[in-house]
Amino acid sequence: MIDLIVTPFLDFAFMRRALLGCIAISIGATPIGVFLMLRRMSLTGDAMAHAILPGAAVGFLVSGLSLGAMTIGGLIAGMAVALLSGFVTRMTALKEDASMAAFYLISLAGGVLIISVNGNSVDLLHVLFGTVLALNDDALILLCSITTITWFALAVLFRPLVLECADPQFLASVSQLSAITHFGFLALVVLNLVAGFQALGTLMSVGLMILPAAAARFWATGIAGMISVAILVAVASSITGLLLSYHASLPTGPAIILVAGALYAASVIVGPQGSLMARYLPRPHLQS
Amino acid sequence: MNRRILLGLTTAIAILPLSAFAQDKLPVVASFSILGDMVAEVGGERVTVTTLVGPDGDAHVYEPTPADAQTVAAAQVVFVNGLGFEGWLDRLIEASEYKGTIAVATEGVTALKMAEEGHDHAEGEEHDHAEEAGHDHGGTDPHAWQSIGNARIYVSNIAQALIAADPEGEAIYSANATAYLAELSAVDAEIQAAIASLPEARRSVVTSHDAFGYFAAAYGMTFHAPEGQSTEAEPSAADVAALITQMKAEAIPAVFVENITDSRLLEQITSETGAKIGGTLFSDALSGPDGPAGTYIAMMRHNVATLTAALKE
Amino acid sequence: MPAIVLQDLTLGYDRHPAVHHLDATIPSGSLTAVVGPNGAGKSTLLKGIVGALRPLEGHITLAKSRVAYLPQQAEIDRSFPVSVRDLVAMGLWADIGAFGRVRAGHADRIAMALAAVGLTGFERRSIGALSGGQMQRVLFARLLLQEAQVILLDEPFTAIDAKTAADLMALVQRWHGEGRTVVAVLHDLDTVRAQFPDTLMIAREMVAHGPTASVLTPANLLRARQMCEAFDDDAAVCLPENRGAA
Repeated sequence: MIDLIVTPFLDFAFMRRALLGCIAISIGATPIGVFLMLRRMSLTGDAMAHAILPGAAVGFLVSGLSLGAMTIGGLIAGMAVALLSGFVTRMTALKEDASMAAFYLISLAGGVLIISVNGNSVDLLHVLFGTVLALNDDALILLCSITTITWFALAVLFRPLVLECADPQFLASVSQLSAITHFGFLALVVLNLVAGFQALGTLMSVGLMILPAAAARFWATGIAGMISVAILVAVASSITGLLLSYHASLPTGPAIILVAGALYAASVIVGPQGSLMARYLPRPHLQS
Repeated sequence: MNRRILLGLTTAIAILPLSAFAQDKLPVVASFSILGDMVAEVGGERVTVTTLVGPDGDAHVYEPTPADAQTVAAAQVVFVNGLGFEGWLDRLIEASEYKGTIAVATEGVTALKMAEEGHDHAEGEEHDHAEEAGHDHGGTDPHAWQSIGNARIYVSNIAQALIAADPEGEAIYSANATAYLAELSAVDAEIQAAIASLPEARRSVVTSHDAFGYFAAAYGMTFHAPEGQSTEAEPSAADVAALITQMKAEAIPAVFVENITDSRLLEQITSETGAKIGGTLFSDALSGPDGPAGTYIAMMRHNVATLTAALKE
Repeated sequence: MPAIVLQDLTLGYDRHPAVHHLDATIPSGSLTAVVGPNGAGKSTLLKGIVGALRPLEGHITLAKSRVAYLPQQAEIDRSFPVSVRDLVAMGLWADIGAFGRVRAGHADRIAMALAAVGLTGFERRSIGALSGGQMQRVLFARLLLQEAQVILLDEPFTAIDAKTAADLMALVQRWHGEGRTVVAVLHDLDTVRAQFPDTLMIAREMVAHGPTASVLTPANLLRARQMCEAFDDDAAVCLPENRGAA
């Protein structure tokens, strides 16, 4: 048993680093994922993966295949899309899903234009998006810093954020923090996503943000509970996925996400809260 | 008198288009930079070569643009590698409605297969795949140009295709081809000598993706790679672990990054095994004209020099 | 110092006025009902007072004090996993803000607020599991904690049962007794006659304002009912010279 579970990590440095990277993102990104799920913004991750293209393209034009430049460019583009869409949602009649879709499409088109006009044939995003097995020191530091920043920001913004999700009218009536909270949250989303893309690739970054949160929905009733369950699911998926990749020679990213997916499927069926079993095979009701 | 001048002028004007016609170059398209370079060598002044996947480009994951479709439509011959290298080509040909000749450079090449898979692919034929770009054509290794012996076959295929499309230029194409083949033979000898000078135990290296199968077979070296034959595939932890174990066991001294892939995975492997990064190899694409591998011959020479420099110590 | 002063106030949507050139003064400490037919602009008026809607013309002057607002259809996401206690505790915002800790004293006040609305024991229930009446009581409990000087209620008793309505009305009277200014939009004229000393009747324009008995006359009610509910798409721009014309 030890051989199966512990030895791979003892023997290989890249396994330890992969595990550390996964744990960092499991802790940092899952709370964001829980809020995204509750605000019905779960598809933001995929939108963001496309939205960062013009930023990466400009970074490439300025500094060549420099990951630092492309990541910073991607961050700027992602922030612009997120903040502009938040602005439009708050100030106009359009709702969040449409404004985000509109801006990411504009951004993506801009990115493709920049790349085509400059005639290079390098697939920028292919180069920018990393893999969990190749986490160097810079990437690990990036991930751990983002996690720390995220937790700090969430600790500070927790109450206004909950209120902004549950009763935005009330928050607007008692506080000036509504806008800061909304945009701060969007900024955290972009930060976690872009750092995740660069270090781990799109699939793992978005997958570990959303799938554990979706699974947690079926186990907990309060936000704190959901976040805890989500972190557990993410860490468990990471460890299991890494071990599957090691023992069964499966590609790592998909393995981790498929384990998370299996946990999600199990939750849909047998979770205590609002799952298929809870709704269609209820236990006998309690006394009045 | 006026009539003669007029006649002279008219004749001159009539001849002008003919002379322009005679100077018109044959428009051809090559799918990627290495092939483009070879076509330019054989075609010389008589052809205009447009390359689709340019220097430092990754043909495994290339996505053609509408401009590419236009270029192909206007071409007289389209040169491709074949062996499943250009997964995106069929759709591009369809989109451009090109009805001309598609010259497969690997026609007649003995294709190598990947060691593990027993896929039964017809050798040397262009594959008729509808899969998307970057698909790992499990079975056949498309990087045939890495052996000069195969490069010779490429050159003769290219010459044949050019002669068929433009019979008037036969003499020129044959002459160019012969000269180029002579150069290639010289380079081949250089490579053989360089590798022979390395001790046998040092002829083992690690690169990003399995692009050097033909080089290994032709010149007696061993190449290991975590990414398999296509840059789009994701390595598994087992692959990386096996590679690290092998590198430690065989004391493989050097790891080589490539110009078209992200080097982070290799850097990880290096730090764990004590090997060093020996330099950059050019596998699927030439460098820019100012780079160390601006032509096919420059590329082969650069690769060998890099390999031997790192492995000699 | 009156609590609320409306000067020549016009509020509306897309240039069509819902409330047209309204002048009124709500004295501090008064208990005023706002009545009128459907579409009379009552909710719009409250939204303007609380600052959620910018005036198209005119001014609203609020005395410097805390304002609490209960909207007609609260845009509360009932599927969000918040407990009754947490939602009620938000009423303490003015005291603890975004980061302050909920101390023992606060916990007592929360308990008292819940008791005042008859929801003791519901602390840990999720707001998604409440009935309409229970939800309204939760929102009243939050209002209690806000300790506001000016309280605006938009149809607070619509669609809840008579007992709950009576309980909540008692709270409103308590606020009035404490000297707070309360303005409430209501449809049930019997309640208005019984409980509210002052009334403001509007039908997109001022109809009458003053003691309830003198406002709720048959003549006024008839005038209000004759007001046109629909917006006139072909209306001309309202210029000062044209005011007074129908």
